[in-house]
Amino acid sequence: MNMKRVLSILLSGCLLLPTLGILSGCGGEKVTVLKVYNWEEYIDDGGEGSYVYDMLLDEGKDPDADDAPPIIEDFEKWYEQVYHEKVKVSYSTFGTNEDMYNELKLGNVYDLLCPSEYMIMKLANETKEDGTPYLEKYDKSFFDPSIETNYYIRNVSPYIREKFETNAGLNTPEGEPRWSEYAAGYMWGTTGYVFNPDKVKAEDLEQLGWQVFIDPAYKGKLTAKDNVRDTYFAALGVTFEEQLKALRTQYTDGTLPQKEYTEAITKIFNATNEEAIAKVEPKLMEIKDNIYSFETDTGKADMVNGTIWLNYAWSGDAVYAIDEAELGETDDDGNTVPGTELFLDYFVPDTGTNLFFDGWVMMSDVVERGTKQAAQAFVNYMSMPESAKRNSYYIGYTSVIAGENNEMLDYVDWLYGGEENEEDFYDLSYFFGEEAGTVGIYADEEQRTCRQLFAQFPPEEVISRCAVMDYYRKDASERINELWSRVKAETLDAWAIIVICLVVVAIALFTVFVKFGGKIDFFRTKPKKGYRKVDP
Amino acid sequence: MKLPHFSRKTLCIPYGVFLLFFVVVPMLVILFYAFTDDAMHPSFENFVKFFSDPTKLSTIVYSLVIALVTTVVALLIAYPVAYILARSRIKRKYVILMLFVLPMWINFVLRVNAIRELFNLLTQVEAFEGLANANYFKTIFGMVYDFLPFMILPLYTTMTKIDNSLYEASADLGGSAFTTFTRVTLPLSMPGIMSGVTMVFLPSMTNYVVSDMLGNAKVTIIGKFIYTYFGNDWHMGSMIALILLIVVFLSTWLTGGFKADENVRGANL
Repeated sequence: MNMKRVLSILLSGCLLLPTLGILSGCGGEKVTVLKVYNWEEYIDDGGEGSYVYDMLLDEGKDPDADDAPPIIEDFEKWYEQVYHEKVKVSYSTFGTNEDMYNELKLGNVYDLLCPSEYMIMKLANETKEDGTPYLEKYDKSFFDPSIETNYYIRNVSPYIREKFETNAGLNTPEGEPRWSEYAAGYMWGTTGYVFNPDKVKAEDLEQLGWQVFIDPAYKGKLTAKDNVRDTYFAALGVTFEEQLKALRTQYTDGTLPQKEYTEAITKIFNATNEEAIAKVEPKLMEIKDNIYSFETDTGKADMVNGTIWLNYAWSGDAVYAIDEAELGETDDDGNTVPGTELFLDYFVPDTGTNLFFDGWVMMSDVVERGTKQAAQAFVNYMSMPESAKRNSYYIGYTSVIAGENNEMLDYVDWLYGGEENEEDFYDLSYFFGEEAGTVGIYADEEQRTCRQLFAQFPPEEVISRCAVMDYYRKDASERINELWSRVKAETLDAWAIIVICLVVVAIALFTVFVKFGGKIDFFRTKPKKGYRKVDP
Repeated sequence: MKLPHFSRKTLCIPYGVFLLFFVVVPMLVILFYAFTDDAMHPSFENFVKFFSDPTKLSTIVYSLVIALVTTVVALLIAYPVAYILARSRIKRKYVILMLFVLPMWINFVLRVNAIRELFNLLTQVEAFEGLANANYFKTIFGMVYDFLPFMILPLYTTMTKIDNSLYEASADLGGSAFTTFTRVTLPLSMPGIMSGVTMVFLPSMTNYVVSDMLGNAKVTIIGKFIYTYFGNDWHMGSMIALILLIVVFLSTWLTGGFKADENVRGANL
């Protein structure tokens, strides 16, 4: 069982040998090393285009890239001031939840991780090879709002916290730990389509819902994600759209309460039994035929250059793509060339979509490593309204932070706010935990219905039809992976495989015969030994 | 001063250590994973699963076909180029050779990305619209482009070594240009062909960056398959990797890649 661990330690030991000398050279003051493992490009990295930099520009100053340090440096300074201890953040990144999980399985140790909700559930349910749990719960005091430095609990949106709890209750069978006890939120969002309104009408999308994936009118003009989680989710939407629609109608009629409605759609969007897979498989094949590509990061560029019209995307990436396309090309003087801008929109299917959370979790090793305090402080620092603005501005995703005094509202207003017309009011009360109709900003219709504001802070109505992903239990995981490989690869008919195998064997036999039989001289020109040495 | 003396054995140690940790041990780990199940008990389950799953077998077949086509096309392009370069009396031929090798100095992900953008541009022209979904064509194009230098170089080195007097002898004895080619050039450049074929065929079975970027991730070759399986099932991933290893080993053995023939000298880069 421990083979993996021993091997990985041995191997990493070899790689680390040269650095040992350097490390032992410096002694003196104790420095806590906090190992943070986060998504790629998922934190403020300072410099040009960061929030701090742009704020300085806004104030009419002429900032330098150094005036806007990465947020991690600021955290290290802040930690020393508050806790009178030195901390050094060792920051590394991962590309997918599954990559991160593999790293942990190999025995790599970090203090803080930032996986998505389904991966948090998986980690909370599993143990390491030596039987210790992967995750460590936050201290009770971490959730005490009366302590001044507990920025997370003081600033987090009550709505998001409640969503955490309801979902943890929904997706947790008896006897399994609730994932919400291990996680402090970081970012959240929905999945939907970024679309080019010049080519695609919003009304058509509303009509089609998930069926757009298999609609021949969009053949070769849209993308799906190159990972099984998101594309299988979409395929479930395509397959069970009728049922989803019926539930939706019941919900809007008022015959189905929110709780039951969410439960019902969560169940549909997390169906992994054989029956569901059998129904989804042909739809996935249709999707594959209809889409332009499976992508993970080329979608944005393909949208901007017009190759595709629709890109299935996470809301944060959508915001980023919309921003980028809108900027257009710049000339030598740094001015936008008119006509190169592209105004993209974001759309969420009526019949329901995915609501995701990425949250900070601590690995159980923090206790032994003595880094729990620093880890919790890191989460708290990232939860200050100012930090939330910085991160959110940098990456395009929506922070779970609302702010004690609704500080994030000013930020949203600063970004998307317009003139104060009565009919332009965009209600955000739900997010800030206030009574409906009291908190919101004034924004133009586009922002309210299809642009960045809509993508970053969807109206509560959109969230009411969202389902959170569950993790695949053992046998389901295998079924789905097999399904995914069948979808991605072409499967030949059995006879074709047999014929090809026979041909290969025949060629191999022939070659062996030529090599060792020596009777068939292929070119009949092979000179006798001695004549081939042409080198001087 | 007495210079320190290293025997051949001592000089081998660094490379031996490297081999042990980065070649032998990883192979053993793959072997171990391939024949165990989740509970780390010995198991032939993955082996049976592999050969009873038409999808996995098909993927191997597809990869073989893609690699074969890539190799043939690359050979057809590279052979004349190498021949002309080796036989011509152009002064500074190394400049031309350099032009072919130059792309190797630029990161290949960048180059593949550039080709992707080129194809995107082309598809905006009506006549080339079909290119958008010609995923297999684009994949093979990218592979050929990427591996062409690996075909040209060994061919060129073997061909420059063919003694000019052999051609003269062939002409003196009344051999036509065609006969000279089939009886002299082709047989003597065989080591170069073998070396080039090995260097193009094997990597193009697994280079999934090209198939992902140019084939829009709709083309799945065996390398991508291994990658995907390592995302969640190391045991199956290792089994596929092991089987690929065997396929590679067999094809290298059959094409004589392990022969230490001195005529191949210079052709094995």
